[in-house]
Amino acid sequence: MKWQAGLYLIAVLVPLFAFAVQAVFLRGLKRRCVVVATAAVGFSCLLSVIGFVDYFGFEAAWLSAGHGVQSGPGAREAETGPVVWRASADWVVLGGAAAGTEDRPGLTVAKPSLVIPLGIAVDNLGVIMFLMVTFVATLIHVYSIGYMHADPGYPRFFAYLSLFTFSMLGLVASSNLFMTFLFWELVGLCSYLLIGFWYQEKANCVAANKAFLVNRVGDLGMMVGLGLLWSTLGTLTFEEINQGLRDGSGQWNVKTGDEGRDVVVLQEARSGEPVVNPITQERRQIPMGLLTLAGLGIFAGCVGKSAQFPLHVWLPDAMAGPTPVSALIHAATMVAAGVFLVGRFYPLFTEEVLLVIAYTGGITLLIGATIAVVQTDYKQVLAYSTVSQLGFMMLGLGVGGWAAGLFHLVTHAFFKALLFLCAGSVYHSVHTYEMPELGGLLKKMPTTAYAMLVGTLAISGAPFFAGFYSKDAILTAALARVHESPEHMLLFVLPAIGGVLTAFYMFRLWLLIFSGESRSKHLGQGDPVARAYESPEIMTRPLVILAVCSIFVGWTVQLGLPPVIGPRPVLEQMLEYGAPAWLEQGQGPHWLALGASLAVAGIGAGLALLYYAPSGLPHFTARRLSAAHAAETYPVLQQFLLKKWYFDPLYAFLFVRPTRALARLFARFDQTLVDGLVNTAAAATALLSRLEGYFDQFAVDGLVNLLARAVYRLGELSRLIQTGRLRTYLLFLTIMLVGLFAGVIAWVHG
Amino acid sequence: MSDNLLLSALWLIPVIGMIAVLIVPRSRLDLMRWISLGSTFAVLVLAVVILGIYLDRPEAQTSLRERGAQNALLAVGGEGAVEVAESKSGSFDLMARSPWIPFFNIQYYIGVDGVNLSLILLTALIAFLACLASWNITHQPKGYYSLFLLLTASMTGVFLSLDLILFYVFFEVMLLPMYFLIAIWGGPMRDYAAIKFLLYTLFGSVFILVAILILYFYPGGSVRGFQGHSFDLVELTSVVTESGYYPRSVQGWVFLLFLVGFLVKLPSFPFHTWLPDAHVEAPTPISMILAGILLKIGGYGMVRLAWPLAPAGAYDWSMVVAAIGVFSILYGALVAMAQNDFKKLVAYSSVSHMGFVTLGMASMALFSPVDSSRLDPRYYAFGVNGAMFMMLAHGITSAGMFFLVGVIYDRAKTRELDKLGGLNNVMPLYGSMSYVIFFGAMGLPGLCGFVAEVFVVLAAFHYSVSLGTLAAAAMILTAGYILWTIQRVFLGRNESWKDLPDLNAREFLIAVPLVILTIALGIFPQALILNWVGPSVDQTVQGIVSARELNVQPGQIPAPRSAGAGLPAGARAAVAQAQEH
Repeated sequence: MKWQAGLYLIAVLVPLFAFAVQAVFLRGLKRRCVVVATAAVGFSCLLSVIGFVDYFGFEAAWLSAGHGVQSGPGAREAETGPVVWRASADWVVLGGAAAGTEDRPGLTVAKPSLVIPLGIAVDNLGVIMFLMVTFVATLIHVYSIGYMHADPGYPRFFAYLSLFTFSMLGLVASSNLFMTFLFWELVGLCSYLLIGFWYQEKANCVAANKAFLVNRVGDLGMMVGLGLLWSTLGTLTFEEINQGLRDGSGQWNVKTGDEGRDVVVLQEARSGEPVVNPITQERRQIPMGLLTLAGLGIFAGCVGKSAQFPLHVWLPDAMAGPTPVSALIHAATMVAAGVFLVGRFYPLFTEEVLLVIAYTGGITLLIGATIAVVQTDYKQVLAYSTVSQLGFMMLGLGVGGWAAGLFHLVTHAFFKALLFLCAGSVYHSVHTYEMPELGGLLKKMPTTAYAMLVGTLAISGAPFFAGFYSKDAILTAALARVHESPEHMLLFVLPAIGGVLTAFYMFRLWLLIFSGESRSKHLGQGDPVARAYESPEIMTRPLVILAVCSIFVGWTVQLGLPPVIGPRPVLEQMLEYGAPAWLEQGQGPHWLALGASLAVAGIGAGLALLYYAPSGLPHFTARRLSAAHAAETYPVLQQFLLKKWYFDPLYAFLFVRPTRALARLFARFDQTLVDGLVNTAAAATALLSRLEGYFDQFAVDGLVNLLARAVYRLGELSRLIQTGRLRTYLLFLTIMLVGLFAGVIAWVHG
Repeated sequence: MSDNLLLSALWLIPVIGMIAVLIVPRSRLDLMRWISLGSTFAVLVLAVVILGIYLDRPEAQTSLRERGAQNALLAVGGEGAVEVAESKSGSFDLMARSPWIPFFNIQYYIGVDGVNLSLILLTALIAFLACLASWNITHQPKGYYSLFLLLTASMTGVFLSLDLILFYVFFEVMLLPMYFLIAIWGGPMRDYAAIKFLLYTLFGSVFILVAILILYFYPGGSVRGFQGHSFDLVELTSVVTESGYYPRSVQGWVFLLFLVGFLVKLPSFPFHTWLPDAHVEAPTPISMILAGILLKIGGYGMVRLAWPLAPAGAYDWSMVVAAIGVFSILYGALVAMAQNDFKKLVAYSSVSHMGFVTLGMASMALFSPVDSSRLDPRYYAFGVNGAMFMMLAHGITSAGMFFLVGVIYDRAKTRELDKLGGLNNVMPLYGSMSYVIFFGAMGLPGLCGFVAEVFVVLAAFHYSVSLGTLAAAAMILTAGYILWTIQRVFLGRNESWKDLPDLNAREFLIAVPLVILTIALGIFPQALILNWVGPSVDQTVQGIVSARELNVQPGQIPAPRSAGAGLPAGARAAVAQAQEH
């Protein structure tokens, strides 16, 4: 184990330790919980920085990698893959004794057991994710000190945050799918606890339950994938599977099976030898069909966690939690875990699954963006925007832009966290989420306003802001995919439309909140804008830091000049270093993609200005468009979008109500039929025994009584003989003797 | 101190305690309490000591079969009457035997391996905690505590026995105190519930008795000196494992009889309806014991009797049994979802969780999926280990859940979920402990239920993808009813409960070990449990596998493993005929 692996192990475990301390001493610590939690996450962040610097500064030759065969250290790594820091311990070792022991001369060896390991494997993706998660989490901890200041659940909040940080870091670090699943559920738990943080309100609890249950639906798929891989391949380690199923050029290690079906054989990454089940001496293999199924299953888990269509319905409801939580869990980190896992397990997915991933992403980004356009609750707008952006990432991965999708994940984490924290800052000040109530906050809270403007520009894809580069990379990848197979034209059209909508709804949001004058119907102290004030520094400082990051994380070395002109963004190259070697990365920046990126951002932002720009700007006033007019023109469309495409009632009708009806039905079935049968059997037995009683009384006992009575009668009769007179007896005796002798004579002579 | 005394003390101490309680004057309630608590605590300490010895002594960790051979009884004489005499006893191999009714070859035969030792530890722990939870029982305490201790004694006895008749005797003795404990100290419908429990279990135990008698009387000829007429569990297991003494058809019947008997006890659909009634009516500590331990006897019977004594039958019926298991899982979860009575909900969740035990035992995918002549029983070993782990995990979480329900019933005098609510506000300590235990039952990673569920589901996937998927689908339903329950009990606001006090010191003391174990078993399953339970389970699995191999190969004559073993069926019949004439 290298020291870096230990470093990351500590980085994972410190928040857990902090959580344990807070959980046990919650009452003693009270508000001091915040110190423990923040110190822990800060420490993890520090370790992540050290790891990051060491990885990209000293260990990995990332600058030269990814461009075909080269000389120098990069060539060595092209063969062996990126630098990975590993540490692993066996969690469960079972079954060896059941398989028996092998008797060899001189010693008896137990056959090898099946092992479920717990391990960390930190590669370039892990290093970047670690830094991103801990950095954003640290800022959000600090921000929460201000935001949650007056809340009675203040200590509990920070305990949950520590647990979440631990779970999320564990998820990022895990070296195998089993462990991922473990942390996958744990982050889900934290999400549940934090969505329902204000549990006194029923709506929040319902939202929390919904989040957990919808995620479990996806996790069912993940469990299927897990089970299939485990029972066929006997391992769940990412590295072994990723490197074992395909050869160096990305072709599957296919052997045609007995029935003509293709079977993929698992091979040792280094030697190329097939992996063998030590007990049966057979090759480890999986039929192509099952592999696709397993891939779809695992992707189903990602669909749940990353709120993709059709399981996206939980994320907007999850906004019931405190806003820092929405920023950390439901925007920057946890919801991106699905995207992360797709990236992590990329070589597992077959062509069909990748297509499913791409289209799922495409549909999701469209649904999210269209709904975001009409929402009046600014937190809801951001939530749907998150759904939509996650769709972008999935699409990017699905079309083959491995680095592009993950690049967007990281940039999105910064600017979406920024946007949510700004939204929280606004709410902290005005106590309403309704945009029609607001307006003109620019003067009241300038820091928040300008920070949010940076976020808006970044997410819209304005040049020189982080989102521009990552979205450009995704469009480039999509373009390349469409170029390859034009029938999938939609995969470029969808993100282009999505891009326009993104810029539109984000500028709409910013303009409605910050520009112009207050639109509140209340006057004086009733007007939320009148009461507004800038948030305290402990909240605005993180905003400023995140705003700076939202600009620079996507930059190229040439001060952010677009990659068409110079080299690609630094971060993208760092990610690309660990991309599957066979995947053609960065098909070359494309002027068309760049043009598209600029066009969609421009059109979207322009439209928003035309609709929502404050009336003070003369140029726009002349040719304003009216949102109200548009709504009147297309009422059906507006209703459809306001009702969020009617997913919730549909699911209630299709799944929730039938399940509950089935539960009631089964309960009644249990009570009346199953238990009824038992009770009937009991009653029947009782009845039978009563009948038997009657039978006993009248028949059996009757017979006995009859016999007794007969004997009695006989006695009565014989009493007649017993007269007590001697002469009568002599008479009987004589008759008897005569009869006897007569009989004897007759017998002798007869 | 001999093995015999050490092991027998496990059930003798509670019996002595019972006698002491009976002697104590009626007015000394406190003395009765402390005697009971002392005896259960002594059992707990003793169980831990035995675990220490088990872990320490390599001779104690060898298979039951080897130890059984070391503790052999010499069979002298003939004509059915078997004279028995102890030959040699290894020191501290945690096994002891002596003749009991020599005429029928019945022995007092006790011993532990990982499988039953883990359950004995569970029994001792839950009995101790339940005794602590009995503090507020003041109605006829003398009867209560004496019956309670008798119950404890019979439960440890069941797990200890290695002789089928001894097992059966303890099994039946257990019913009596349970019946009275429900019938006298129960709720309003206690008479109905108690009689239902008693009759239903008796109904099941008849099947078990018949199976035992078939094993005893079946004339299978003579294989390596074995001629039937044995109640010796260890001997019978090794006979089944290594010879074809009991043909496949007989094993089928034996298996089905055992199965019905233990499915009643487990309980599994369709034999489960005694459970909700018994739970709802039983007082809290008895519910803890019922869910925590009694149900495990059904599972233990499967692991120890049904499968090892009739492996060929088990293999033939495995698909049916696995389907029953999966159906129980889903059915229990769905019915639980529809309940409004807190205790009934927990009772049905037990049905659901015990389905995992059935499924884990029945996921008998012994072969490589590619080539069915190559054995790879490791996945099945995962399933059986999962079933074992589920028993322990459920023993902890269900006892915890019933205790927590009892706590709230004591305070609010209602168990209706719709009337509860907002308890997190008034009883935060109670709330947080409940969260851990309920999430443990739900199978959240890092807590004990998860380990069990995931092992079983993984094994089930190897057996049948569709059954595995259905079992995994229970994840959603389980989460559904648990979260909904948590919401209805702990979350929200409810003014009517605002004065309820939080857990007191005694209740805290009961909940804490359960909470700690729920977490610890979830994080360190290997170190805490599997390291010493796993090998014993693996031995059982290995026995099942080799027996199945011997009996099942269709149309094949099993190859004799050693001299005299595994005679083909035809030859065996000929031998039997020759002996008759």
